[in-house]
Amino acid sequence: MKQNIFKLGCLLLGLFVVLVVYLSYLQAVMGSNLAANPYNRRLQDIEARVRRGNIYDAKGIVLARSEFNNNTGRRVYSRGADMSHITGYISGLYGRAGLESAYDSYLLGMEGADLIRNFVNKLLGKEQKGGDLTLTIDADLQGLAMELLRGRRGAVVLIDTRTGALRVMASSPSFDPNHLEESWPRLVQDEDSPLLNRAAQGAYPPGSTFKVVTAAGALAANPGIATSTFNCPGYLMVGGYKLDDLAAHGAVDLKKALAVSCNTTFAQLGLGLGADGFYRTIKAFGMDQDPGLEIPVRPGTLAAPGKMTPTELAGSAIGQGEVLVSPLHMALAAAAIANKGVIMRPYLAESVKDSAGETVRQAVHRPWLTATTPEISGIIKDGMVDAVRYGTAGAAAVSGMQVAGKTGSAQNPRGQTHAWFIGFAPADQPRLAVAVILENAGPGGTVAAPVAGRLLSAAVSKGY
Amino acid sequence: MISRSCSRKISPGEYASTVRSRLTERKLLFLAGIYTLAGMLALYLGAAGSPDRQALPVGLATISAFLFVSMYWHFTGYRGDCFLLPITAFLSSTGLVFLFRLDPAYGERQFIWLLIGLGALVLTTRLFVDFRFLSDYKYIYALAGLIALVLPIFFGHEQGGAKSWLNFGVFQFQPSEFVKILVVLFLASFLAENRAILTAGTRNLGWIALPGPQEWGPLAAMWGVSLLLLVCQKDLGAALIYFGTFLTMVYVATSRIFYVLFGMGLFMTGAAASFYLFAHVRARVETWLNPWPYIDTTGYQVIQSIFAINSGGVLGTGLGLGYPKYIPAVHTDFIFSAICEELGLLGASAVIILFMLFVFRGIKIALKTKDDFTALAASGLTALLGLQAFIIIAGVTKLLPLTGVTLPYMSYGGSSLVANFILLGLLLNISHEAEGSL
Repeated sequence: MKQNIFKLGCLLLGLFVVLVVYLSYLQAVMGSNLAANPYNRRLQDIEARVRRGNIYDAKGIVLARSEFNNNTGRRVYSRGADMSHITGYISGLYGRAGLESAYDSYLLGMEGADLIRNFVNKLLGKEQKGGDLTLTIDADLQGLAMELLRGRRGAVVLIDTRTGALRVMASSPSFDPNHLEESWPRLVQDEDSPLLNRAAQGAYPPGSTFKVVTAAGALAANPGIATSTFNCPGYLMVGGYKLDDLAAHGAVDLKKALAVSCNTTFAQLGLGLGADGFYRTIKAFGMDQDPGLEIPVRPGTLAAPGKMTPTELAGSAIGQGEVLVSPLHMALAAAAIANKGVIMRPYLAESVKDSAGETVRQAVHRPWLTATTPEISGIIKDGMVDAVRYGTAGAAAVSGMQVAGKTGSAQNPRGQTHAWFIGFAPADQPRLAVAVILENAGPGGTVAAPVAGRLLSAAVSKGY
Repeated sequence: MISRSCSRKISPGEYASTVRSRLTERKLLFLAGIYTLAGMLALYLGAAGSPDRQALPVGLATISAFLFVSMYWHFTGYRGDCFLLPITAFLSSTGLVFLFRLDPAYGERQFIWLLIGLGALVLTTRLFVDFRFLSDYKYIYALAGLIALVLPIFFGHEQGGAKSWLNFGVFQFQPSEFVKILVVLFLASFLAENRAILTAGTRNLGWIALPGPQEWGPLAAMWGVSLLLLVCQKDLGAALIYFGTFLTMVYVATSRIFYVLFGMGLFMTGAAASFYLFAHVRARVETWLNPWPYIDTTGYQVIQSIFAINSGGVLGTGLGLGYPKYIPAVHTDFIFSAICEELGLLGASAVIILFMLFVFRGIKIALKTKDDFTALAASGLTALLGLQAFIIIAGVTKLLPLTGVTLPYMSYGGSSLVANFILLGLLLNISHEAEGSL
């Protein structure tokens, strides 16, 4: 019987060990999004006592601040709907979102020195204050992008290729965070999904803009194609299907194929690359990853290996088929070509200061992925320059500066093609990469390219 | 003073060891006192909002009461285990500090109950020091226990979803807290008596040897009572504890894993049947599997508990700096979540380790016993306490379905506190006897 008692003891102690392990596991895996749940009133409680910090844009314009009237705080967003997908909102009814949620602990003074300072303030009955957040976004450029998108469904991303700082991340339609709670019932029912941040969470067929990625993969697998010539009769037969081209481009080299956006050439390159090479290229460009933006990002998706038939592969190579990516991912692809193959980690938060004005967090510029080599990116850049000079992307041209670009007109089941443009400028020393999409708006060359041109020229004149 | 413990002549060697162990006990109680006073001092200075002037005197009185019990044992030559009382002091003073932090009104009442509990402990170690006589009347108190248990079904009122309370005007009383001790004593004496038969079996049923109905009858009755609790009183927690303790004791007595498996099978069958038959059981299980769709109703409590545990992190927010009051019933079943929030993973682990130490001492006592009845009683009481602590901690952390039972020595509740001090007293009496016969 003593043996049994001993076993019982082991069992009971084992149960408690399980509890300790389970509690540790809970702390390790439980998401920080629990704090943002509207049913969790902890943050709201702190909110009522603490003067929440401000959010500034890259030039120091106040984007969000707290106003106090009769001890009830109210959050005021000076740029309204322009910035709402980035800054997010705080609502007692509908929870918390965006950078407001991601930086809660800083904005509410719950980190580092502020934690101690606010504890002392609490004991002394003084006002408790949070820290301030400065973004990389330029509010005026963001406003321009929203103006250019006005009334249409679409998104614009503008990124500094050398640092990864996002200067514009616009999504239309949007919502006014100043009147979130009144308009919520309408927002969630709106068929155009104004709450969705299309720039980072959109899932679009990239169309011909994807040829930039396919070209990088094909050149990496076979450098010889840089000097080969392809013949385009205006269609391609793949697995019994006829893949139509826009025109019979005749004999083209790779650069010209990019400039005139020849489907036949790139479908062939995709088939030559093979499914494995294609997947490898997608990975190299980070298309299937979340770069860790602190706001939600939808990683791109494409056909699973089992479903990657030659027809699917040829379609995917020209950005059709099952390939679905976000404008952010396409902007990063353009940034890779601009920055000699290296994608800098994209980010939105430039710095965080505590309530005393001390900088407690400063963004560090670091490479995220090496998508391709400087040689390959050079070849593709030439093709993209040609596309603007005499090809499909002419409408993106800006006087006094060479723009490199690639258009896309992505077929989709919902009507007219999605108008795409990706590119960067200035072509000789690239600093800015851009991606524009306008849903069901027609051809990229005439609809999306002018938007990109206006934005690039405004950005450069502002000194970016 | 002539207590029963002094009625037998104590040898000088025994007396010296008693003095030594009581001295160790007081040293440990002294540590528990510093710990308690640190917590009470923080509350006195206003860690939980407004300064609580009562906190310090209550802390001092609590620890003095524990020291007084130890002194009393010293003078009566009591030889009970010297670690259990300090462990209990740590647990109950943590509970007391948290109750004062959550709501001083609960703290004050808990303090009174703690004094009553310590009184019950002293009485148990004095009146029942020769607890063996209890074994002779087992059927009488088994019946009494059963009646006490069933009474709330007819006269009781529902609280927190469980109909297991009797209302006596000034205070409410939960019979199942006390009956569980009677159940252990009954089983200990019944199993000690029928151990041989139950182990060997009197008749053969194919490949398996089974005892006759007069032997397994009372055991089947135990199973019935557990299910009755589950169904009629909606007291899932008590049912689990009763049945778990029952199975462990049967196993300890008979070494036959078959009984345990068979019992578990029966319980599973009963549980599965009640899952399909009773909406409240089904709701419990569904809430446990995924509480989020029920966040407004049955899932609210456990989700608030998860929020609290999450906001605590590893180090906790600090005493008085969290928001555990968002959890309904945080002072009773969910006190552990409050500890997780304010003392963090480390504080919560410390509480769990205290329960492990309690179980460890209990098992050591059981291993030192000289006969079947005491061995079974000691291991049964230890299993009872250990299982109860495990079930409620697992419930509030969503490891198991939530069941409304108290966390021993810590949750607010007079019945539970007094009953657990009686349990402690019985365990100490067993160790007193074992030490004496060395």
